[in-house]
Amino acid sequence: MNPTVLSENVNVKHVQETSLPLRQNWPTVVKRTVKEYYIYFVLAFVVVVFSVAKLDEVALFERGHFLSPDNIINLLRSAVPILTLSGAFTLLMISGYIDLSIGSAMSLSAVVFALMVLSGFGFLFALIVTLIVGIGMGILNGYLVMKLRITPVIATLVTLSLYKGIALLIVPDGLSAIKGNAEHPMPAWINNYARQDVLLGLPLAFYVAVLAIVALIMVQKKTILGKYAAAIGGNPTAAALSGINAVLIVWLLYIIVGFFAALAGVARASFMSLGDPLSGDGMELAVIIAVLLGGTAFSGGEGSVAKSVVGAMIIISVTVGMLTVIPAYWQTFAMGSVLLIAAALNHYLQEELKT
Amino acid sequence: MGIIKQVSRKPSFGDHMSNESFITLLMIGVLFVLFSIAAIFVPNFYQPQNMLNLITNNWFIVIIGIGVTFLLITGNFDLSVGGVIALTGVLAVYFSQTANASQNELANGLGLPYGVAVVLALLGAMSIGALNAFFVVRLKVPSIIVTLGTMMFARGIAQVITQGAQRNTSLPSEFGLVGNLALPGTSIKLSVLIMLILLVIAFIFERRTAAGRRTYLIGANADAARLSGVKVGRHLTVLFIISALLAGITGILLASEFKAGVSSRALGYEFDALVVTLLGGVSIMGGFGSVLGMLVGALILSVVTSAATGLLLSPDWQFTLKAIAVFIAIMAQGFALSRRKS
Repeated sequence: MNPTVLSENVNVKHVQETSLPLRQNWPTVVKRTVKEYYIYFVLAFVVVVFSVAKLDEVALFERGHFLSPDNIINLLRSAVPILTLSGAFTLLMISGYIDLSIGSAMSLSAVVFALMVLSGFGFLFALIVTLIVGIGMGILNGYLVMKLRITPVIATLVTLSLYKGIALLIVPDGLSAIKGNAEHPMPAWINNYARQDVLLGLPLAFYVAVLAIVALIMVQKKTILGKYAAAIGGNPTAAALSGINAVLIVWLLYIIVGFFAALAGVARASFMSLGDPLSGDGMELAVIIAVLLGGTAFSGGEGSVAKSVVGAMIIISVTVGMLTVIPAYWQTFAMGSVLLIAAALNHYLQEELKT
Repeated sequence: MGIIKQVSRKPSFGDHMSNESFITLLMIGVLFVLFSIAAIFVPNFYQPQNMLNLITNNWFIVIIGIGVTFLLITGNFDLSVGGVIALTGVLAVYFSQTANASQNELANGLGLPYGVAVVLALLGAMSIGALNAFFVVRLKVPSIIVTLGTMMFARGIAQVITQGAQRNTSLPSEFGLVGNLALPGTSIKLSVLIMLILLVIAFIFERRTAAGRRTYLIGANADAARLSGVKVGRHLTVLFIISALLAGITGILLASEFKAGVSSRALGYEFDALVVTLLGGVSIMGGFGSVLGMLVGALILSVVTSAATGLLLSPDWQFTLKAIAVFIAIMAQGFALSRRKS
């Protein structure tokens, strides 16, 4: 039985490889260098392209140069949700599993948080309740995948629909989001978390995201959880035989992902000062692109939290940069193309540059 | 222990059945129970017209469900079908709109004859399928990631062509014909007849052709299939292209029905197609499922959603209902199969 969908083609791959001669014309050192550092070049390339583009001719771009302080601050502020999420998602991908429900989990968290704030609860209490909801969603995902053994893609597609449905049901009929009105306004402080300048023009939410990334890099590099995740993704059978409790570890990873999805939802609700039940739509795609760009293997076992973060910055730069040069209706096409390119690039890194 | 049990057990009804037929029968039973419950609580649910609607209203999901079923049997997802429907509709409209009709950019097309426009649009759909196949077969990228990408890619092209909205002007009069044609003397649309024909073809392919049986072999064990001489890559490529073609046909019919190419058409249909296959007992673990089961799944979904509408639940309920229905179906099928084995 095949425990993960992401590894559905692994066996097929090995069969073919043995029959094909591997290309050996690149020296190992060059390969390793390219594999290790290419993502920084991609980011630099994207930034340079958008910086050199004739931005002053574009009416949409009112904030001036791509690398102006205002624009960088805006870029980083809008990157908060994806930065918060990509680290945890990478760990899950490394273990060979996937969570497609993160976008909906984020939406539901945003709705819950906005509802709590609108109902008069304080920031800390609303935050804690939302995080508990996030942990609950992670527990459910982990239960479906690890206990009931439903294929990860299907289980999390089902919960994607479920969380989105609940978020839509929480929002009262006739409203598009949880928001204040004239007699019952949304407290103004809801903005503080994701918009108020704390340091260097950046809000608290950004520093929380950075903290999350640092913590997850430490988890991946220094703790047993990171090692186990890689072991489970690399070879589930060997991991089980060496006594790793895969059910527990992967379940824990699902819970961590749920927790950070909730945190991202809080940041989004605070940024928009409303709880939009569709605000997280497509987040799973953005995060998958970021993680693939970062070189995490589809089948698990290999990957890096830090590089996923660079991948996330590439995605955000492309989305924000694109908006400044071409009309918004190109956005879907661009994201789809970038995902396909990222998948091809990832394949190339994993297969052709094997060291 | 198992042997003793088997020997001592009296042969009961259905022992000679395959697991697939068993699950299909189980889901037909579920359909019957759900329908009876709905008939009790929802006014006028049992009326013949409503029963006919339950079968005919979801023709588009059934058509795309055929392709999704075969791919799921091989262990692959196709989430690009919704995007392909939108793309084909928009392309068909764009190709057949009169050239230089007005100042409005969205009213100007290429001015091709309708037949040519349809063929070209279907080719566009099939190229998305080929793209899926290239990534899955050649680059060995998991189908879920590829088809998420082509889902956005296809819809993205539709959005670019329609500038994020729709094209519905300066169309030739024959454009609206196919989608609105009814069978003589009835209110049943031609689209439903096409659905039935495609279902019959799919059923024959699944049960009576070697290629159809190979689909199951690939799903059950791709390595074994390859070693026994099945051209797995070619088979998957054909299935991906067929799935995109079926989505394309749906796109043409829907565009004709509404006389418009809308870039947001068929949003979420990829999920519905997956829902009906899962309700029908198709397993992603591969090698298991049937087109007939998928049809039963589509009817179950139809009963559930139309009963929800009949009970005046807000449309917001649909996501939650679908999730719960799929979840229960997966659990029930797993439970029934494990009970059957023991």
